[in-house]
Amino acid sequence: MDRRKFLQTAGIVSGTVFMGSCGSERDQNKLISYLVPPEDGVTPGKALWYATTCTECTAGCGAMVRVREGRPVKIEGIPEHPVSRGGLCMRGQSSLWRLYHPERIKTPLLRQEGGFLEISWEEALGRIRENLDVARSEGRRSVYLAGRTTGSLSEMIDLFGETAGVERLPEFEYFSHAALRRSYGALFGREEIPHFPIDEADVLLTVGADLLETFLSPVDFAARYSEAVSRENFRWFHAEPHMSLTGANAHRRLILKPGGEAALLAHLLRTSASGGRKPPRAVLDSLPELSPQDAADATGLGEKSLRELTEAWAGAKRPMVIAGGVSVGQRGGEAVSLLAGLLQGMHGWADFSRAENYGNVGNANDLAKLSDRLATGGIGVIFISRTNPVYHAPDDLHLSARLRQPDLAVGFADLPDETTRELDLILPVSHTYESWGDTEPRRGIRTLIRPAVQPLYDTRSEGGILLELAGKGESYRDWLFSRWSGRFGEKALGEFASRGYLVEEAPGEKAQFDPADAIDVLKRIDFAQTAGPGLWITPSIRAFDGRSRPLKLLSEVPDPLTTISYGRWVSVPEADAKRLKIRDGEEVRLSSGDWSVELPARIQPGLLKGRFTVHREHLHRAPFGIDPDTGEFIVRLDGPRVEKTGVKRPLAVLAGSTSRQGRGIIPDPVHREAKKEEVHARLYPEHEHPEYRWAMAVDLRRCIGCGACAAACYVENNVPVTGQKDHLKGREMSWLRIEPYYRDDGAVEFVPMLCQHCHFAPCEPVCPVYAAYHNPQGLNVQVYNRCVGTRYCSNNCPYKVRRFNWWPHKAEEPLRRMHNPDVPVRARGVMEKCTFCIQRIRAAGDAAKDEGRKIRDGEVMPACAQSCPTSAIVFGNLKDLEAKVTRLSKADRAYRIFDVLGTESSVYYLKGQE
Amino acid sequence: MDERTGKILKCAACILTALYFGAAVLAVAGMAVLRSDRLQAPEQPIDFPHTVHVGQLGLACTYCHIHVEDSPEAGVPPLEICMGCHRSVAVDRPEVRKLIRSYEQKKPVEWIKVHDLPDFIYFSHKRHVRAEVDCSACHGDVAKMDRIKRVRPLRMGWCIGCHRALGASTDCATCHL
Repeated sequence: MDRRKFLQTAGIVSGTVFMGSCGSERDQNKLISYLVPPEDGVTPGKALWYATTCTECTAGCGAMVRVREGRPVKIEGIPEHPVSRGGLCMRGQSSLWRLYHPERIKTPLLRQEGGFLEISWEEALGRIRENLDVARSEGRRSVYLAGRTTGSLSEMIDLFGETAGVERLPEFEYFSHAALRRSYGALFGREEIPHFPIDEADVLLTVGADLLETFLSPVDFAARYSEAVSRENFRWFHAEPHMSLTGANAHRRLILKPGGEAALLAHLLRTSASGGRKPPRAVLDSLPELSPQDAADATGLGEKSLRELTEAWAGAKRPMVIAGGVSVGQRGGEAVSLLAGLLQGMHGWADFSRAENYGNVGNANDLAKLSDRLATGGIGVIFISRTNPVYHAPDDLHLSARLRQPDLAVGFADLPDETTRELDLILPVSHTYESWGDTEPRRGIRTLIRPAVQPLYDTRSEGGILLELAGKGESYRDWLFSRWSGRFGEKALGEFASRGYLVEEAPGEKAQFDPADAIDVLKRIDFAQTAGPGLWITPSIRAFDGRSRPLKLLSEVPDPLTTISYGRWVSVPEADAKRLKIRDGEEVRLSSGDWSVELPARIQPGLLKGRFTVHREHLHRAPFGIDPDTGEFIVRLDGPRVEKTGVKRPLAVLAGSTSRQGRGIIPDPVHREAKKEEVHARLYPEHEHPEYRWAMAVDLRRCIGCGACAAACYVENNVPVTGQKDHLKGREMSWLRIEPYYRDDGAVEFVPMLCQHCHFAPCEPVCPVYAAYHNPQGLNVQVYNRCVGTRYCSNNCPYKVRRFNWWPHKAEEPLRRMHNPDVPVRARGVMEKCTFCIQRIRAAGDAAKDEGRKIRDGEVMPACAQSCPTSAIVFGNLKDLEAKVTRLSKADRAYRIFDVLGTESSVYYLKGQE
Repeated sequence: MDERTGKILKCAACILTALYFGAAVLAVAGMAVLRSDRLQAPEQPIDFPHTVHVGQLGLACTYCHIHVEDSPEAGVPPLEICMGCHRSVAVDRPEVRKLIRSYEQKKPVEWIKVHDLPDFIYFSHKRHVRAEVDCSACHGDVAKMDRIKRVRPLRMGWCIGCHRALGASTDCATCHL
């Protein structure tokens, strides 16, 4: 091409581009007026808050919905809430993704040849009534299967059952805690799970119970853990055969031989007999013999670790033991939960006054019974609500085929799932943030569910549908209010509505401890029955039992232990990886009998040889069946065959390394005195901070690596969710990440990493356009529209916290409605990063200015700090000498990462335990 | 191809290029002139005369722009405020008929934004009003405008000029996100 041709072409191209840009209507924004201002007083530019309950799982955490111009844009925990104590987990933070999910079911759907047909509510309800009548006249039963239901909705289902002649089945939950309830029933006469206030214990032993991931009420456990660890005399032992987030956070992780749980508890029971607290004679007599040597063998712990535990236990004033999770999801799980119950009962404090409310929940055996009933054809109409039994049922129950047997299978659902695919009629239910209701997650603790927004689609609440089917003329809201005012009285009702929860007086009755019923089970325990290599299906903090899989944000935020975001994987011990000659992302086949699965491997430090783990949501169905004794799903497979397939399937692993590589990210130990002597040469003048110097302190002792902060940051700051393709290229956009660092002894330390807002920031002087600069409030600011995308700043950042927008990242409808209007959506080609939630600082400054004062300590709470269940993150003004952050920054444990570089960052870390 | 044809082709290419660029420049200039006028004073769905409401009736700005003192966003008045008077006042005027029709059909009016700042700018009406900056400092004398027109440039340099003069913060992060 000659010069002239080049100029011609360039001219045409540039001309076209220029002309094209002239024609855009980008300046023509519309101002749309309200006809009548909404009743609750919407002020454009100001947020409203509604207290409600998070229902992403059934724990019942208190959630406040932030609503801007009629749109919910953020969820935050209710401070002082009796269940969640101000925090939320990453699932709770992501719950808006369910509300705005593009695949929400929008109208009632009727199964037709080759798909579903949209029908009207009248037609749908008419069909249900018709089929109920036919079933009744022909003598077939109609049944109602729901997920865990408490509070007024439970009463509503009973009412509907009575009027429409529908039998209410035991509810289905994958985490039914059936073994625990059975054991506590046998020992205390109450088939309930007591409340576990772990912060009141001085020695805590958890056997398999994943307190910080999915067990009962993870946010509550995290908050109580945080209180407990700040005390000197708290020791936490966690016994498990594999590696979990809970284990990673315990003071001592006891790595058991598979099946060694019963031996550990029995040994503890026997050794405490020599101390002051004696277990009943009958219990000791019925327990099979177990010498300390046998116990060490059966548990695989070695006598030293075992002695450490027994001594701590014997010396404890208020010891507590909790069994659950993988320890009861195996043959012999009944003995484990019984022994744990016995051990707790012996110490006399099992608190049933605030028992976890699982009264209506059945177990997996009930699912098998239902499957049999479906097969015999005795069921007329089946209702399935808020539960996904097809996803969890073992193949030999043939549930999906048998759901075609009844006259009509009706589902209440918000998103399509494995179960709704098999149904005849799907009724779209409103999201919790669109409906009225309440829950009672623990006895006497009522939490309010109230709408923060009008239903986005033609959906109704489950209670409303049932009320109509039951033929009552009133609305569900009116029905609820009349119930509430009858139950609480007008005054308490006002409190309930404004605070979002109500704590009723606890019944004074005490549970009687009587181990007589346990003797039979104890006699049958065989301590020799431990196993070798195995595969565990572990609960997942991101997807719970799989129900949160459709929420894309929860794939974007990585799993805390592996830092994998998208895709499925199996965690492989280092020893086996060496033996099989595999690296991250190489596929392995795990098989046993005629069951097999192929998954890419992720090498997981901390796993012993021959122990593989897969998250619940990465396997279909329940491949290992049900334990008939307890009705728990079996999550352990003994002796799987493991082989390399030779296929490579790249994994989106976000961490560069599992090791600190000697970089002193967590110094060992912290030398405050030595640090002071370091003098750095300064090329640039000191920054002045006349009023504020914003800083953060992160207590690594409290941080459990749960990732709630990361999820909260995504939602608050409109951080784009980029997807698997970009993650594989290392182009994730998270402003805040949790870095897990594994020590040689298998312990894990979590470090939340975000922009450090350095006093002497390496990113600032390299910016050719002055887009990164230091402001008088101590923030390292990025001016987006000035940024030209050279990425020099990112290259020069030692913390690697800056993110570059490779794409425009347009969120699809209706997810765009979740955008926080206080934060702009960044354009393509722009660098972005944590701002310390500058919009919140600005809002607090605005409020302070109105009152003619300075911003108070604690008034600015960045999204990460607000969401943290353990209150590990503290934010404040370093110029305020009374501020909490100032105090923490001067603590003995305080240090700054890479201080040797002279960046003088504004994020102080408080070193965790040695 | 002989030498003559080659020369003619080269010549033609040159003329065409000149014509193309000339046309492009003219078109851009023309559009800029036309659009700037249209943008600065666009035609609104209802021809609302500030001259009457402010100029003749002397209504205060906050009578309709109710949020301007307590929210970052001034907001556009809900139609109910308009209807407060126009249920009985001037109901036969064609523009007021449009308003009443909108209200009765429950169709909100889609006004065209005249004073529009980019998304990455934080601007608080409340702060400016409470700092006793007169509305006309940015919006001009609306009492004399039949149709609302942008009279100030609303560019950063213009903002900064005022911030400097009044001693307000000139830190980038005051307005930029």
